[in-house]
Amino acid sequence: MASKSTKVKKTINWIPWLLVLAILAIVVGRIIYLGTVHDRFSSAYFIRAFLESLKLGSLYALIALGYTMVYGIIRLINFAHGEVFMVGAFFTYYLFSFSPYPLYAAVIWSIFIAFGFMKIIELWRGKLKDPVVLASGAFAFVLATYLLSQTTVNFFVALVFSMLLTGVLGIVIDKIAYSPLRTAPRNSLLITAIAVSFFWQNFGLLVFTNRQTPFRPDTFLRNRMVFAVGDGTVRTTMLSFAIPLISVILVVILTLFVTRTRLGKAMRASAQDAEVAQMMGISVNKVIATTFLLGSMLAAAGGAMWGLNFGSLNQPAIMGILPGIKAFAAAVIGGIGSLPGAVIGALIIGFMENFMTAIFPKTAEFQGITEFKDTFAFILLIIVLLIRPSGIVGEDLSEKV
Amino acid sequence: MQDTKHIVQPNRNRNILLTIFATVLVAVALLILTSLGSVKLGSALALFAIWGIATVSLNLVNGTLGILSLGHHGFMLIGGYTTALLILSDDKREKILASGRSSMTPFTVGLSIDNFFNAIGLTAFTTDETLWLRFLVAILLGGLMASVVGLIVGIPSLRLRGDYLAIVTFGFGEIIRLTASTRIFSPITNGALGFSGVPTEFGKSVWWTFAFLGITIYVISKLKYSSFGRAMEGIREDEIASEAMGVNLAYHKVLGFVVSSFFAGIAGGLWVSWLGGARLDSFLFTLTFFFLVALSVGGTGSITGVLLGTALVVFVRQYGDPLEQSYLITTWILAIGVILLLTALAIYIFRTIRRSRPKIIPAFYLFLIAGVATVVLALLAPSLGIMQGEFRGFGMRAIFLSILLIIIMVFRPDGMVGRAEFNWAWVFRERLDQPTEEERKQDAWLSNPELNRPGGAANTSDVEED
Repeated sequence: MASKSTKVKKTINWIPWLLVLAILAIVVGRIIYLGTVHDRFSSAYFIRAFLESLKLGSLYALIALGYTMVYGIIRLINFAHGEVFMVGAFFTYYLFSFSPYPLYAAVIWSIFIAFGFMKIIELWRGKLKDPVVLASGAFAFVLATYLLSQTTVNFFVALVFSMLLTGVLGIVIDKIAYSPLRTAPRNSLLITAIAVSFFWQNFGLLVFTNRQTPFRPDTFLRNRMVFAVGDGTVRTTMLSFAIPLISVILVVILTLFVTRTRLGKAMRASAQDAEVAQMMGISVNKVIATTFLLGSMLAAAGGAMWGLNFGSLNQPAIMGILPGIKAFAAAVIGGIGSLPGAVIGALIIGFMENFMTAIFPKTAEFQGITEFKDTFAFILLIIVLLIRPSGIVGEDLSEKV
Repeated sequence: MQDTKHIVQPNRNRNILLTIFATVLVAVALLILTSLGSVKLGSALALFAIWGIATVSLNLVNGTLGILSLGHHGFMLIGGYTTALLILSDDKREKILASGRSSMTPFTVGLSIDNFFNAIGLTAFTTDETLWLRFLVAILLGGLMASVVGLIVGIPSLRLRGDYLAIVTFGFGEIIRLTASTRIFSPITNGALGFSGVPTEFGKSVWWTFAFLGITIYVISKLKYSSFGRAMEGIREDEIASEAMGVNLAYHKVLGFVVSSFFAGIAGGLWVSWLGGARLDSFLFTLTFFFLVALSVGGTGSITGVLLGTALVVFVRQYGDPLEQSYLITTWILAIGVILLLTALAIYIFRTIRRSRPKIIPAFYLFLIAGVATVVLALLAPSLGIMQGEFRGFGMRAIFLSILLIIIMVFRPDGMVGRAEFNWAWVFRERLDQPTEEERKQDAWLSNPELNRPGGAANTSDVEED
């Protein structure tokens, strides 16, 4: 293993790059071959597949960021993150499809929404008992109560509210289940995370629904788009551009937060060494709460757009598992603990899943690889862990002596 | 080896006799319970034994070896499907062949112990009376298949550590389940249809399952107290130190993993027989989750504790259906209020016993006020006319178990018994660490006041040279 060598002369690990080259060669060769073999595989076909893959990849990226942030700071594979994603999607669904609510229900929703908004403002002001924070909380409470009790909220308002609610949920999960275990062995923490995940799966089954839920908000994002490319036409929806765009905006905001603000700096310091960061006067608990807040908000956004993309939400017990575990695989592939790594890994997974099935389609002599697409993420994860455990851009986080 | 011969366990013969006696006692108790008790009790006992095999084998990896393996359901699936395919009766096989939806080929349908015995001329063993022998062969083959897959999975993945290893075992468990229904494996697994009509007389039988449980406990405890087990415990405590002591890390990890997956395969075979059929949704991650609850509640690393935990989980699964009935919504809310009040009470008692100050913390008031408010709401709701109707607590058992697991992990991460094992010395309050005669002499020599006189240091250095 070249990566393990401790020679002074830096050796380059050729195996990953050779693999990447081989995969690229297969993809390009396959595209050229398909283009010659049948009219169906025109450039429009590949552009559509590309757009779909990009969409899926950016959805995975939104989830993977939460995994990678939490892992970077407390070294925990937050198994419950897939379920946070599921809950976020269902919050959005309930907000836009059942409003206007009766007043008491609107007040209960709004308390949590206002608390989430206060937490966001707190990131900027520094403490919760600050006049600006309290005033904005009161403002958010009144606004949310009004919107939820009087109007049918549109998709974007529901998305923002659901992000705030899910952010609060992330903080609560951390407070109840993870914070008592800060000094416990890591396996205990992981088992707790599995328990939390299992709790939310069954809680969702109990409270939300036990069947597929249609998710069709009345928004312009679902409008059809048709444009001509070469000799064919690409039929898609606005979502193909909106989802990557929203993801990019959220990721840019997150990156700016992490690189430009004091709390973001504290976050990076805690990720490097939580103990020393604490000695330097950083409140690590606050940093961890912030991490859970931001990660869960991104997951909620991902969940809402997941529903928008597929037109329905799977039943709660299984909705979060596969996207969650694939996003985790994406985070590991990119290099866990690194924000750009998570995005790169998610795009790779999205392309593996969608573009590969598109360039190996079902034809007369070949049955296609669609039924294996759920396993690609795992196989890629295992390959990456075996040949380069630190991921594509990540640093080596393995235990040291 | 020669040194260990001199170490004589105190009361060894007595302990062996007691163990035999206890085994007979358990057998008599089972006999009484199965003849007097209901069918439900019998199947709960059988399920306890089946899941006990699975948890004890998972404990070898998770507890003794210290690796968090999350793919146990995958190995159970392999053992279960192998067993089901090998002992399926002939009319079921004909049905599968006749069905248009099945993708099994005549060759894979013909894979059975029956045909094998016929082919080698042992026709005496193909009658209905000798089904037990075929089941035995099938279940052992299922275990072997699972251990072969365990070897294939283990060799590459056990080079990883900690969380990564957990996620890779989880990934393998899911891959096994996800690919079992694809066209590569559906000629063997019958795709999403699975097998139905697996004979249930073994899985539901207390004798078969408890016999396998006894064998599993015997083998795994022998392994645990052998040099292999000590090496595995060393790996659990500190990989680097045990490698420095000459422990072959890869060998011991793979060994533990393979043995564990062998017994997981056995448990899978019995589980399929208990269910009466093999379907992919009987091998979900839920199964591994239940085992993790059993391990954590009982005490990861202790076979005794794991069996206690399994008993609890099986009890909740088999007798927890009142939790999933349909009740009035107000009843549910009342129950939540009572739980909140009990939590407040528990906080108070806990802090009083521990003598923590302040005795009453904000969380106490929080739970108290929330509990009182909820109870009042539940009691007032009928007269106010809100929250009418019934609510079915679907999935309440799983919620209960996951909350239990979180509470155990937060308040008592070692579980009920920690790593302690049941032994007879504990029953009789004996001390196993009594000093030997030689050690007594040394102690006497050390506490000899003559040596403490001035100039004694010279004497001790003389002795050390001996």
